[in-house]
Amino acid sequence: MTKQNFDDETLMAFADGELDEAETLAIEEALATDDALAERLAVFMDSRQMVGDALKPLIDEPVPDALLASVRKIAEDAQKKTATPQENVVAFHSRPQADASLRAKPRWLVPLAASVVALMSGVVGFSIGQSGSASNESAAAIATALDREPSGQDVPLGATGSVLRLVSTFQAEGGELCREYELREAGSRTLAVACRMDDAWTTRLALTTPVSEGYAPASSQETVDSYLATIQAGAPLSSDEEKQALNR
Amino acid sequence: MTSASPSVPERLVAFLPNLRRFAISLCRSRELADDLVQAACERAILAADSFAPDSRFDAWMFRILRNLWIDHLRRQKTAGPHQELDEARDLVVPSGESAAHARMDLAFVLDALQKLPEEQREVLVLVCVEELSYKDAAEVLSIPIGTVMSRLARARKNLIELTGISFGEKRSLDKKGGVL
Repeated sequence: MTKQNFDDETLMAFADGELDEAETLAIEEALATDDALAERLAVFMDSRQMVGDALKPLIDEPVPDALLASVRKIAEDAQKKTATPQENVVAFHSRPQADASLRAKPRWLVPLAASVVALMSGVVGFSIGQSGSASNESAAAIATALDREPSGQDVPLGATGSVLRLVSTFQAEGGELCREYELREAGSRTLAVACRMDDAWTTRLALTTPVSEGYAPASSQETVDSYLATIQAGAPLSSDEEKQALNR
Repeated sequence: MTSASPSVPERLVAFLPNLRRFAISLCRSRELADDLVQAACERAILAADSFAPDSRFDAWMFRILRNLWIDHLRRQKTAGPHQELDEARDLVVPSGESAAHARMDLAFVLDALQKLPEEQREVLVLVCVEELSYKDAAEVLSIPIGTVMSRLARARKNLIELTGISFGEKRSLDKKGGVL
């Protein structure tokens, strides 16, 4: 008797009804005689059932009135707007797009009205005229900090009084390691995302805003978040994962 | 752009219970879930043009909400982990459920779900609760189908393992398959 070998993922796909007819038949036949196979399959049948039983009933919970009301309002406002076509919406359609699946890509630029934007591709550090800072020296210091310091850390940069705050570490869609950080200088604050490629840190996004009360307008953070969403940034790494990834 | 298919704003309100269930499953706190749902609706309106009318509205909305959740996690990370501990207790205890043993089983499952890594829980919820196909789940998470399958298989073996321990009845899991 030839015992066919089915891997976990095939068994799971069977449990989830994702196999085609031929594969389904093959497994059904094997199940008739193979108890161990049935046992392995049970893991996938049971787990689906368990999770479904536990979480599906949530859908019957009444949506809180406040939420319902505010979403209704959002929806109604949007419908009113579409009824009167607007011409003052900025169109980004002409921008080159690398990936058709990211059709909404340029939207992260929208909340930017108030900030000074610098979008760069280059070695870390942004010698931007407006902020007039970030010498080569501090660029090197930033790169070193990106290589070494854990997220959540504030790193003073030299004697300039500038402080680098490491926000998070994550993987971008292409698998490269990226870090979000914030550079606080005398007259400005920069939110940036840099990714490591071939051992060098490349700035992907840097938003510099003049400091008024010591914090940047919410729109900068929003922009960074939207940007991260468009590059399909993964969840932030835990401190252990981060340590490992940085040492690689 | 067919006038027959309802617009994004028209669909939002009807989809709320579903979106909210997904949000609670992800973030394990109703309060946070409601904030996420509202933010997702706002973003959906802004991005309404990017929704292709012939594609799945649920998958599109789940993707928006899930990305917001990831953003939240990223920011919370810097604030420190203390918040999550308080919120974790605020999970699902359905009121309609009467049988005591069923409640207990449920508690084990929920407990086990909370112990799963984020990336395993989200794929588990999309497929086993929201009943998305592997293909649609892959789209929501922006990962290849192969990754959906490997994560999902790992999540389910881990879940059975975790609840098995809780129930006190050891199942003979195939360790060669690589639990954990």
